[in-house]
Amino acid sequence: MINISDLSVRIGQRSILSDINIEIEDGKWTCLVGPNGAGKTTLLKSLLGSLPYSGSITDNGVEVFRNHDRNVAFVPQHPQIPIGMGVGEYVMMGRSKRDGWGNESSHSRKMVVDILKLTGLFGMQSQHVSLLSGGEMQRALIARALVQEPTLILLDEPTSALDLHHQISVLNNIEILKERGVTIISTMHDITLAAMYAEKIVVMQEGKVLLNGTSDFVIHSPELKSAFENRINVYTLDSGRPVIVANKDLTS
Amino acid sequence: MIKNKSKGEDSGLAPIWNWKITAFAAALLLFVGILAISFGPVSLSFQEIIRTLLGLPGGLTGQDRTLLIDLRLPRALLAAVVGAALATSGAVYQTVFRNPLADPYLLGAAAGAGLGATIALTSAGADLRSLLPVFAFFGAISAVLVSFFISGKFFAEPNSLLLSGIAVGSFATAVQTYLQQRNSASLRPVYSWILGELTVANWQVVTWSSIYIFIALIILFTVSKQLDGLMLTDEEAYSLGINPNKLRVIAVVAATLATATAVSASGLIGFVGIVVPHLVRGLTHRVTNRGLLTIALVGASFLVLADLGARTLLSPAELPIGVITAFVGAPFFLFVLRKKRLVAQ
Repeated sequence: MINISDLSVRIGQRSILSDINIEIEDGKWTCLVGPNGAGKTTLLKSLLGSLPYSGSITDNGVEVFRNHDRNVAFVPQHPQIPIGMGVGEYVMMGRSKRDGWGNESSHSRKMVVDILKLTGLFGMQSQHVSLLSGGEMQRALIARALVQEPTLILLDEPTSALDLHHQISVLNNIEILKERGVTIISTMHDITLAAMYAEKIVVMQEGKVLLNGTSDFVIHSPELKSAFENRINVYTLDSGRPVIVANKDLTS
Repeated sequence: MIKNKSKGEDSGLAPIWNWKITAFAAALLLFVGILAISFGPVSLSFQEIIRTLLGLPGGLTGQDRTLLIDLRLPRALLAAVVGAALATSGAVYQTVFRNPLADPYLLGAAAGAGLGATIALTSAGADLRSLLPVFAFFGAISAVLVSFFISGKFFAEPNSLLLSGIAVGSFATAVQTYLQQRNSASLRPVYSWILGELTVANWQVVTWSSIYIFIALIILFTVSKQLDGLMLTDEEAYSLGINPNKLRVIAVVAATLATATAVSASGLIGFVGIVVPHLVRGLTHRVTNRGLLTIALVGASFLVLADLGARTLLSPAELPIGVITAFVGAPFFLFVLRKKRLVAQ
């Protein structure tokens, strides 16, 4: 259980997050949704320990920021792509924390090959990362996260900039992580997809948590509409799945 | 048959670094080094050189011995040390600034050293010529420090340091030009220093520059494996167990120490810092900083060879070594660049 209490982040004079209080269950997929600038990415960075914050984030009672041995994988929205690096080498970087930088055990090499096969990247290991398509790059990032054998994985907009076909393939890859008992926290633009895959949804607005609960609860809350300034409508399909669509009539 | 196939799949994952490449680079340096100390206006025999160096009987005597021990040997060693420093710093700057065009002189080190050297050469009161390396060293270090303090935002955005380095460099060059114009007798010595020269090599210069450069290189080789993490975003680096801010400071400080020492010992020798790292990466198909030692060895060999050319091509006259590095380095580099692109396709 990750417990976030009274979390606030300021950058200069600007308050990015204020008084965030949420609990994140182990082994579940929690999705952060909300408009741009709501503080979703900042919340992910605080969980990674790369940003100074006030308040506390504890993982099973241990203050996360002070526990550097924690193995947290991070899939960024805009990765920095090392020019000239091969896919195999790139994914192998995920083992650095386990093996120690500069070492690669035969166990790690075997694991990297297995994960490349699992994510459909096997055969491309010597291809340059810079030449990958958007969908392939996203899968390479998830492959790197998988070989990290993390207890927690943070994904920043894993499906943005992908077409529907690749969105689904990436989301299925994330499901593989969940089956391995990994706790997943992601941000996502598409609430319909979020509701379909994630068990928990946290709706954020202007640095605060507006709604927090199971996907069903959040999707059907009237507050969800107000978070998006009543610009969305929620429909339920015959199968019971919710669908969120933009509301064209802005005056409603 | 099936077993072979699965073995083949495993080997589809190339090792991150192959140490045979490093061993080859070391052998190359040794070979080039012996070549450099035996050729010149007076040729010395291989056998006698090796006997002299190992202290065996039957070595060189008299003038030949002095030529070897006091002239050619320190010069070759200085070329090797400076070449290793420039190539390694270049590779490290390229990683830290995530910019393939970064070179060791980027943060104002070159312009600062140039200004320091000009002050030493134009000072009217005392003869400061012998202190030129000291002036150049402090000029280089000061320029980089000023860049650091002005940028301030180094942690958040490495590129701001890069930009302030360029501004500080331009300022130092302006002051240097002003001093030169006021003292036109200094134009020629300053110009020849700027083009790089190893003619000043003696055991004293070799000793102090080796000490600083070795300290810097050992630090860089120690962190070299982790430097790969700086090719990613800071968040990715944190997630892979690296503190990118700390690592960047260590890498930049050590690379700057190496560069400042190299510049003050030998003037501005261009091209090595950009060409050699890319050459090694291109030929080995590896961008990892695990190849840093190899880059250092190839940089050393490259400069030793360039210096051999500088002093023998127009013998007995000498060419500035910077001319050779660019003249030979540029076409060779373009060749590798083209070949590499073909491989990538």
